[in-house]
Amino acid sequence: MLELNGVHAHYGKVHVLQGTSLKVQSGEAVGLLGRNGVGKTTTLKTIMGLVKATGGEISFNGSNLTDIAPHTIPSTGIGYVPQGRGIFPSLSVKENLEIGLTKAPPSQVFDYVFDRFPRLKERLSQPGGTLSGGEQQMLAIARCLVMQPRLLILDEPTEGIMPILVQDIRREIKAVNDEGVSILLVEQNIKTALRLCSRIYIMEKGAVVHQAAAQDLKDDKETLHRYLGVTV
Amino acid sequence: MELVIALGMNGIVWGLIIALIALGLSIIFGLLDIINIAHGDFFMVGTVMAWFVFDATGNYWLAFAIVPIVGFALGALIEYTVIQPIKNAAALSIVATFGLSIILQEGVRATFGATPARLTAPIEGTVLLFGLEYEIYRLFAALLSIAAICCFFLFLHRTKLGTWMRAVRFDPETATAMGIPARRVYMVTFAIGFAMAALGGVVAGPITTVDFQAGVDILPFCFMAVIIGGLGNMEGTVAAAVMLAFFEGVMASFTDPTLARIGSLCLMSVVLLVRPHGIFSGATR
Repeated sequence: MLELNGVHAHYGKVHVLQGTSLKVQSGEAVGLLGRNGVGKTTTLKTIMGLVKATGGEISFNGSNLTDIAPHTIPSTGIGYVPQGRGIFPSLSVKENLEIGLTKAPPSQVFDYVFDRFPRLKERLSQPGGTLSGGEQQMLAIARCLVMQPRLLILDEPTEGIMPILVQDIRREIKAVNDEGVSILLVEQNIKTALRLCSRIYIMEKGAVVHQAAAQDLKDDKETLHRYLGVTV
Repeated sequence: MELVIALGMNGIVWGLIIALIALGLSIIFGLLDIINIAHGDFFMVGTVMAWFVFDATGNYWLAFAIVPIVGFALGALIEYTVIQPIKNAAALSIVATFGLSIILQEGVRATFGATPARLTAPIEGTVLLFGLEYEIYRLFAALLSIAAICCFFLFLHRTKLGTWMRAVRFDPETATAMGIPARRVYMVTFAIGFAMAALGGVVAGPITTVDFQAGVDILPFCFMAVIIGGLGNMEGTVAAAVMLAFFEGVMASFTDPTLARIGSLCLMSVVLLVRPHGIFSGATR
């Protein structure tokens, strides 16, 4: 489904991604972990074309994403929930939800999204900036879901969210994955990543240095400590 | 007293026209972070194009339809050739649009000439208003400006492209990730900015003179409206333009226009001292 092969990216003269390679299979939930500044967010931005890949290949369902304009990437079936949620604060919840739609989706799509996130239905006319952090995160995920993606990329979806809402968001991500949507998740919360994902990639210095099944990694205390500096 | 009322009303009419022009400046600044020194010249090009349309067809009404469309096309061309290459460089944008201003002025001087001309209003006659015989065309100009400003706000809040403009303005990167063609939105925004200034030129044509330097006078006024209204704040820009022009109009009935302009600048200084981000800062951007 999604494959990154030796991807390089630069911010000016800084060589951020130094040959990143990873795969996400159809229906799979994959986590991308690593310490701060190792290139996780840049990897996601490079997939979305927001940072230009200076080398390597990114393919999604056979199409080469490095060859197409960044704004056309969502229409290939990739939904992106950026770090910090990326809600447009002066746009209403409804406008935020519909921002990426070029044509009206079937009404069941909105029904499905409002079933998942009923709080959003109650706040449709409210400016996005007036929602709480957790509600904004729900909106960011719902905004992608109305575009009916086949792969959902999430950059730290539980960052800065109240613990009670973290559980809701985690549950919804799991439910979306169970319905067949692939997930690529960047998380600082290792427990969340290990719980949601079946496979984990670990990044260091702009490249993937380790990959393992989430179940195996959970028990691999040495690897967790060496690359992430944590004990689970 | 009659003079105060007349100049006050002229001020409001002029303020509405300025609001139309300054809105263009405001969206260009708000969305593209471009400090457009050539914006007054977009207005001037509008008056000159209106003059050419009238000269060629003898029908001034045609200018109301043709000039904004040509302005839109010119705006798109300028965005593509001048603005896109210097995107994200505010300092360069001042130099580039200053150069553009010179090119537009000299281009008009070479084609239209250096001698100012006057346009005849398409509506003649006066109407009794507050005890004054007031030109019907000025009232028409005010109504047309209000209609154009309302259309602009409707466009911004009720159309897909308008919503995209508001989204790109806040976060172009996320907007792109949502499938919005940000570069095209930039181009359309700049083109709309030019079209609005050019429409302002057509509306103001019969009130002011057609002159290759007409933009030089109007630019500071537009900037004052944008700054007092709160940088990038559309509603604030409209309110500030009307208030400033009314203030300057009334001031001009007691003193000469130069002192009235000095008064406006003092007013702007006081506003910025009290509210550094403009009167309407904090309202919707």
